[in-house]
Amino acid sequence: MTPSRTADAPAALDRPEYVIETSALTKRYGDVVAVQELTLRVPRGGVFGFLGPNGSGKTTTMGMLLGLVHPTSGDARIFGDPAGRPATLRLVGAMVETPTFYPYLSGRANLRYFQGIGRRGSPADIDRLLTLVDLGKRADSKFATYSLGMKQRLGIACALLGDPELVFLDEPTNGLDPAGVVEVRELIRELGTGGRTVVLSSHMLAETELVCDNVAVLSRGKLIAQGTIQELLREHDSLRLRTTDDAGAQTLLKGLPWVEGVAQQDGALVVTAPQDRSWEVARALADRQIYVRELVPLHRTLEEFFMEITGTDPTTGREQK
Amino acid sequence: MIAHIANLGLWEWFKLRRRWMLWILLIFALMFAQLAVWGGYFSYQNLRDTGGEVTVPATLQQQQGRVPRTVRCNDLLSGDPARQPADLDTQVTAGLAAQCRQLAPTLPARLSRAYGSFTLPGSIPNALNTIQTLGLILMAILTASAIGIDYGAGTLRSVLTQGTGRWPYLTAKFLTLAVLTALGLLVAVASVALSSTIAGGLAGTPPDAAGTAATWSDTGIALWKAWVSILPYIALTAFVTVLARSSAAGMAIGLGYYFAEQLIVALLTNFFSWFQNVADFLLVRNISGWTGGAGGFPGTVLPDQTHAIVVLAVYTLALGGIAFWLFERRDVQGATGGG
Repeated sequence: MTPSRTADAPAALDRPEYVIETSALTKRYGDVVAVQELTLRVPRGGVFGFLGPNGSGKTTTMGMLLGLVHPTSGDARIFGDPAGRPATLRLVGAMVETPTFYPYLSGRANLRYFQGIGRRGSPADIDRLLTLVDLGKRADSKFATYSLGMKQRLGIACALLGDPELVFLDEPTNGLDPAGVVEVRELIRELGTGGRTVVLSSHMLAETELVCDNVAVLSRGKLIAQGTIQELLREHDSLRLRTTDDAGAQTLLKGLPWVEGVAQQDGALVVTAPQDRSWEVARALADRQIYVRELVPLHRTLEEFFMEITGTDPTTGREQK
Repeated sequence: MIAHIANLGLWEWFKLRRRWMLWILLIFALMFAQLAVWGGYFSYQNLRDTGGEVTVPATLQQQQGRVPRTVRCNDLLSGDPARQPADLDTQVTAGLAAQCRQLAPTLPARLSRAYGSFTLPGSIPNALNTIQTLGLILMAILTASAIGIDYGAGTLRSVLTQGTGRWPYLTAKFLTLAVLTALGLLVAVASVALSSTIAGGLAGTPPDAAGTAATWSDTGIALWKAWVSILPYIALTAFVTVLARSSAAGMAIGLGYYFAEQLIVALLTNFFSWFQNVADFLLVRNISGWTGGAGGFPGTVLPDQTHAIVVLAVYTLALGGIAFWLFERRDVQGATGGG
């Protein structure tokens, strides 16, 4: 655990390996446990996906990291400093849940205000950010007149004020049209380069898979998986196999130590084994005069992985039957 | 830290000055200030023109439900039959004239007092007396709105994630509201000074016994008292707004408490004499005691100023302190609606 810094020392300059670290972080609301014993490490740089069905504790965790929610127990640190410390938060940009701004102020005035109170960057950044999120033409309209998509864009612009080292984006593509989703996805990808870390919370798993380097999956307040997307999806690699003797192949493959399982599915065998050992599968079968007619690596999507490990639908949070 | 709070205060002003509410409330305050000056001016003119008025005995008035009939002393004492009320019995007229003769020696002093109430410097304490009561209500509305919008629109979350810190943010709001109160009072005083000069010019030569009790130092003291008296009310409204996380609740209590307290005190002191002792520690009564105001219902004895300022300081610190404590320790939720 990185020790706490003193006074106003710019924490991020020390550049600890992990930008976020939590240890047994817990939040209870009466009898309800929103986050339970969460121990998490977010490495510096890249895009970190924070996944989980609705009600899994993602936003509560973000709230605790940003000092909005007081933990019941445990420890949370950003750049090695206790979470919620104002000086540290000035190095962090955040859009949590629906973006909230003053409805009677224009988009530009809202950004000026948030820039002013956080002393982030210079006034010239505002025009640049408004252009970046494609709000230049409506910058002087009142926030109350914005569509949901425009509000999201303004929220992203606000999170980027002062060029923060760590950016939290909670469901940033909510309310955006398909073109907007692609734009924001590209923006997030770009933000995650050059040493900046983006923590992306989303239930849009296909989108997350495209932009994230690492992910953590939460379910019912608990961390149930964490790693790079490649690692997580490869964890239960499988191959679809058709042979000249499926019954014999099944018996043979079950005896191999690196094969986790073999099952019949749609007239083929599904072999749970590392895909880079597919040639060994073919050779083992050929040694017994069983010949491969078809051998296809099966690629799972993040969504399939998510449903498998959480047992829930990523969008609704309802349990899968 | 002081620079940080000052910066937050400036940005609070950035938000507030873009709200119509602030300017509407200021217009109300100015209107009431002008009412005090011009009300005094017309009252003086009336006294000068009529020499005072006496009321016709109720038994002779056949105009139930209407404003009691009065007769001008200048007419009664003129001796001119054409100016005597034709419909009144001569005996009654003679009685009313006798009343006027009794009042006549006090007329110069009354004229002098009336003149002093709308000319400088006496017009300022006089107007501040009116503005102070309204100021409590106006500042309750502004305080509830300024603090409550962060709950209603959910902007508190966005604000705190900028690294403002919780207590510096609330401190900046309190200080901005306190400064705005002072500025509002100063603007009202300036408008009173201007209209007093105009009204003084219109009134012409001061009455012979001119020379009012009010001095410029009274004006400063009245301004100070008016400002101080509003601070505990800001604390009360801020406390309710933070407690309920709602500007509506803050406004409701801010507006309602002023009248509710006076009503409750009047009712309960009638039934229980010991309640007078409790009432001496209630907020509005001590505000009235501090400013030397009317204190609600007639016949009540207000707490003295030393007692009042101590009680008001305790209220301000206690209510403000609880508001800070709640603001600091509570989790921040999303938008609650309203503004």
